[in-house]
Amino acid sequence: MVKFYSSTYDYSYPFPAVTLAYFLRYPNPYSTHVLSTDTISRSFDPATQRLTTVRLHLKRSKLPSAVLKLLPRSLLGASAAGDSQSYILETSTVDVKEGVMHAESRNLEWTGVLSVVEKQTFRRPPPPSDDQAFRQCEGAAEKHGFLEKGEAAGRTDVQSTVILLSRLGQWKKRRAAGLQSEQDAAVAGKGVAEEEAEQPQKVGFFKSWSTASLQRSIELIGLKRARRSQPNAMEGMKVVLERMREGGLVGVLEGMRRDREMVTSHGHHGTGPNKVTAESDQVIEDLGDFHED
Amino acid sequence: MSASLAPECNEVKEYVLSFRVHSFLRTVSKHEYRRYDSCFLKWYSEKFLRGNATTDECEPLFKQYKQCLGKALKSRGIDSMLEEAREDNRENDAQHLRDG
Repeated sequence: MVKFYSSTYDYSYPFPAVTLAYFLRYPNPYSTHVLSTDTISRSFDPATQRLTTVRLHLKRSKLPSAVLKLLPRSLLGASAAGDSQSYILETSTVDVKEGVMHAESRNLEWTGVLSVVEKQTFRRPPPPSDDQAFRQCEGAAEKHGFLEKGEAAGRTDVQSTVILLSRLGQWKKRRAAGLQSEQDAAVAGKGVAEEEAEQPQKVGFFKSWSTASLQRSIELIGLKRARRSQPNAMEGMKVVLERMREGGLVGVLEGMRRDREMVTSHGHHGTGPNKVTAESDQVIEDLGDFHED
Repeated sequence: MSASLAPECNEVKEYVLSFRVHSFLRTVSKHEYRRYDSCFLKWYSEKFLRGNATTDECEPLFKQYKQCLGKALKSRGIDSMLEEAREDNRENDAQHLRDG
């Protein structure tokens, strides 16, 4: 009962710039929900020229509200409904010699309900052997200022995978029982879900779902979220890279200051009427999708 | 690299988002050097990315920042959450491997 979402794309910027933009990507106009970013640990290995960084991001909104609706009150606790911030742990390693950056982000809270792990690999493409191609790229790379003369890589390849796993109601069971019985439960749960999907929606309906079907629906909603948010994450990186090209680090920092003013002027005052409507529509859309499935 | 979750730590963490930023990487004021983020960006772009780094020059500043942040993480219960997450991640990763 795990869902995957993978994609590959590229940024038309050199590898060093992309790694820098990764560290500078919050806030941007597509990520005004990021309230803070802190570096928890950082270690540099001079022998390998690798830099490992662990950061903690604080974002507005917790689980998708559609997921919250699926959960029993007892699990949410008293404070959960009003609490709308979540912590994301990000670990990254930049290997500047090899031209590879691995990054992984995961939610810190609610991991039993839904664990979302996003893995990204940024890679410098192999240098072109053709002399002409080499000369063409060289100018652009040098102009950027982050590249040594002769390094001809104006593109960075990205591979991204999101892994979603719900273990709702499973903690103790999984420890006590073996893998086989867990699979049996999953198969049995699927049957129940199909039967119940036929029934009309009513109060207390969700309570009658089996653990397996709840997990499945939560994973599906998470998957939809991941699909929807990825283009935004990409656009956000592009904005930061563009600012870097136009105005260097100063350009990035000034853009960041403007974005942050937006965050502080809108972010801490909850949601406006439009936001609420949009959110409710989303819940309906998410649930609608599940029932079609 | 936005603000710290602990505002009291911004004094040692953040770059100065003011007119001083214009001098970034050129004639950076001493004040800015005292901020960890500024120090890191300068080191990362000028040394690390060029393969010229021999040590993490910003480590002393990071220690100051970490000391401040550590208190904030503790008082908010985030330190134990991080610990739990490490434990939890191992289990989740194990299941990802089994299922995947």
